[in-house]
Amino acid sequence: MRRELGMFVAFLCMCAGLWFSNPDFLGSSNAINTTRQISMLGIYSLGMAFVIIAGGIDLSIGSVIGLTGVLIAKLSSPGAGGLGYSLWIGIPVALGAALFVGLLQGLLITRLKLQPFIVTLAGMLLLRGVSQTIVEGGTLSLGGSPLLHLANGGVVEVAGEPLISYPVVIFAAAAAVATYVLHFSVFGRYVYAIGGNREAAEYSGINVKRVETMTYVISAGLGGVAGICYAAYIGQMSQQVGVAYELYAISAAVLGGCSLRGGQGTVLGIVIGSAIMRVIDNGINMFQIPFVDERGVARIWRLNPNWTFVIVGAVILLAVVLDQIVHMLQSARRTRAAAAAAGSTSGQEF
Amino acid sequence: MQGITKTFPGVTALNRVSLRLRAGEVLALMGENGAGKSTLMKVLGGAYPPDDGAILIDGIAVTLRSVRDARRLGIALIHQELMLAPNLDITANIFLGNEAHTPRLLAPVRTGDLRQRTAALLKRVGLRVPADTLVSTLSTGQMQLIEIAKALSLDARILVMDEPTSSLTAAESADLFEIVRQLRVEGLGIIYISHRMEEVLVLADRITVLRDGRAVGDLEGDAATHETIVALMVGRELSRHYFPDRTASSDDDVVFTARGVVVPGAPAPISFSVKRGEILGFAGLVGAGRTELMQTIFGVTPAHGGEMTLGDVRFAPANPRDAIDAGVFLVPEDRKRHGLVLPMSVAENATLPNVGRLARWGTLDHVAERQIAQTQVARLRIRTPTILQQVVGLSGGNQQKVVLAKWLAMNPRVLILDEPTRGIDVAAKAEIYQEIVALADSGIAILLVSSELEEVIGLCDRVIVLREGRIGGIVPRARLTQEYVGALMTGQASGDPSHAA
Repeated sequence: MRRELGMFVAFLCMCAGLWFSNPDFLGSSNAINTTRQISMLGIYSLGMAFVIIAGGIDLSIGSVIGLTGVLIAKLSSPGAGGLGYSLWIGIPVALGAALFVGLLQGLLITRLKLQPFIVTLAGMLLLRGVSQTIVEGGTLSLGGSPLLHLANGGVVEVAGEPLISYPVVIFAAAAAVATYVLHFSVFGRYVYAIGGNREAAEYSGINVKRVETMTYVISAGLGGVAGICYAAYIGQMSQQVGVAYELYAISAAVLGGCSLRGGQGTVLGIVIGSAIMRVIDNGINMFQIPFVDERGVARIWRLNPNWTFVIVGAVILLAVVLDQIVHMLQSARRTRAAAAAAGSTSGQEF
Repeated sequence: MQGITKTFPGVTALNRVSLRLRAGEVLALMGENGAGKSTLMKVLGGAYPPDDGAILIDGIAVTLRSVRDARRLGIALIHQELMLAPNLDITANIFLGNEAHTPRLLAPVRTGDLRQRTAALLKRVGLRVPADTLVSTLSTGQMQLIEIAKALSLDARILVMDEPTSSLTAAESADLFEIVRQLRVEGLGIIYISHRMEEVLVLADRITVLRDGRAVGDLEGDAATHETIVALMVGRELSRHYFPDRTASSDDDVVFTARGVVVPGAPAPISFSVKRGEILGFAGLVGAGRTELMQTIFGVTPAHGGEMTLGDVRFAPANPRDAIDAGVFLVPEDRKRHGLVLPMSVAENATLPNVGRLARWGTLDHVAERQIAQTQVARLRIRTPTILQQVVGLSGGNQQKVVLAKWLAMNPRVLILDEPTRGIDVAAKAEIYQEIVALADSGIAILLVSSELEEVIGLCDRVIVLREGRIGGIVPRARLTQEYVGALMTGQASGDPSHAA
């Protein structure tokens, strides 16, 4: 929990700093938008976490998000290019497609013993191409579809504005279920065991292939849920939606304490990691320092939005560097302790 | 080395240890795990600076600040786990880090010249393979010789060998001894660390014994005997009860039978059976196919033919799950690789195969898990601060007990133990032996694979000797002697077929 606590403190500091520099940060419209963004990232980051904790990687998730959104737009858009089916058909079909993609990738990885990186990289490219074909290189508008209400509506209305948007509700539900599954169910224990030592898990009678396949299904499934949210939020789908989102999810997972070696990470960490990622994004727009220039005119200094990737990259690097330093200090201490134990009499060894 | 002291927070790992090595002699360094052998050799190799004491070479005090310092002074360490790059050829490995005479990274590698020097070195260590052979195609024994050649290429005068024969066959070991003797004649000082008493007695000119960070004895090779060394190592006469008495013999219920089982890659089918409460040993050289046979029985590599029965039921595990469901459990040879999830806790590891059965509706039952873990920790006397301790922080003996605990919580019918005491200290060994006998007495059939003949002979009711994938003989307890089993292992005697059950 050390990592989670550290990141949570960092998160609070960031929020406090931003609020201090620009009180609008916690204003209702920015707060609603930021929590919605955090939630949509969080939903698929949770899926990614299952894969990463089991020792795999899923690069296809951004394309799965795009594909689900595009499918819904194609099937259910009442406008031009859409087929105009009910959402009761569009959503299940889109989600089903996402789950099918996850199952297929999981089976390829576990049954044919292919490397997850390669399989999901191919999946990423292939699905992106499928989306592109469906939208025929253009965009599909969801204008007039009741789906838009999913992103814009919400619960706890204050002055006619929903304070908690539906994506936040979905994210909370997903996080609750994920907490149960990862931390309180047998399946979760197996996920950690496989990530910690695949062979020992196999020798303990765990159906490693099935559990591993399931992690890819979960990842793609949550990617699908996020895809529906994004479609509702953006209101029109192009082939560009979801590009590079897998990197955001991996970053959120790593910031939250997952190790890409597997076996480590918590749901709480993912939630915090996702929040940090989005608050950085938002903070780059919100951060401002008022100053008076040499001619005595009051001005406001803002961050250049072109720095976004520089800052995001630097934050991730800083987080893993700090974590690694702590890790190395700890392991040096453990080595010393072990050597010390080895030097003492065998009766005292621990 | 004079009066070397090394302390770590809270403990003295080395307490005024002095060690003298002459040119042209083999000094064996012995001691239990944790006696300080590795620490002492790390000080000599420059990895740890000593807190006190001096290292003298040719009577001149030297300061070793790094491994490079030590190397420059002609001290070469050969680790137990070999440090070779399998994807490179022999020449590249021997001169790794030493390719060019000028320390410029972009200097050309003078392949032809290096090949010639490699060929000369290979000749010196008696290895007849071309210098451009890929290391990954060599046997472990040959790799060991490459390490020696590498040390020689650095003009080493002091050679430290840590458990060099631990994964060699008998023939390879014999070759290695020949080389060691020859290097001794050439005037190298060799420090030889080994747990194998026979080797040390044959090879060493002198033996220094460490215990609890002190040098407790310095014996001339001729004067040393098995007993005197063990007594020095453990600080007491080995109790006669080291191996528990086996009075209760197995009954006649056959639990498990293998009929013509074809282990993938083995040359011949194998048949045997084991009774309730019997400890059936499997002896053989490395590569005799013991581990492979056990993995087939456990379902890791399913059999290509033949039939196994468990009780009266056909038993054909396609994976470990099937075997576990039937009550056939394996304590694997490599506990870190196959036995434990190191970052997980003692409790999580001990219940890993069981956790699905303890759960209700897929929900973990933490209370039951902890109870089971507590029970096993108490029963096996696992020394751990709490059951929530990560197993990575435990000593080898306690880790091995955790692997055992995984299965004891689940009522085994057949328990396969593959090298259950490898790399653990004498005290933990004795405890594990007692547990094995207690398990057999409770009616469990035990298949015990061990490379320590002492252990096989001390514990087993019957021993199957495997040789090159075939059964070389089946020996009943009454006829178990080191000489006879050893002869069967190497093919110098043939088994008595009348005992084949």
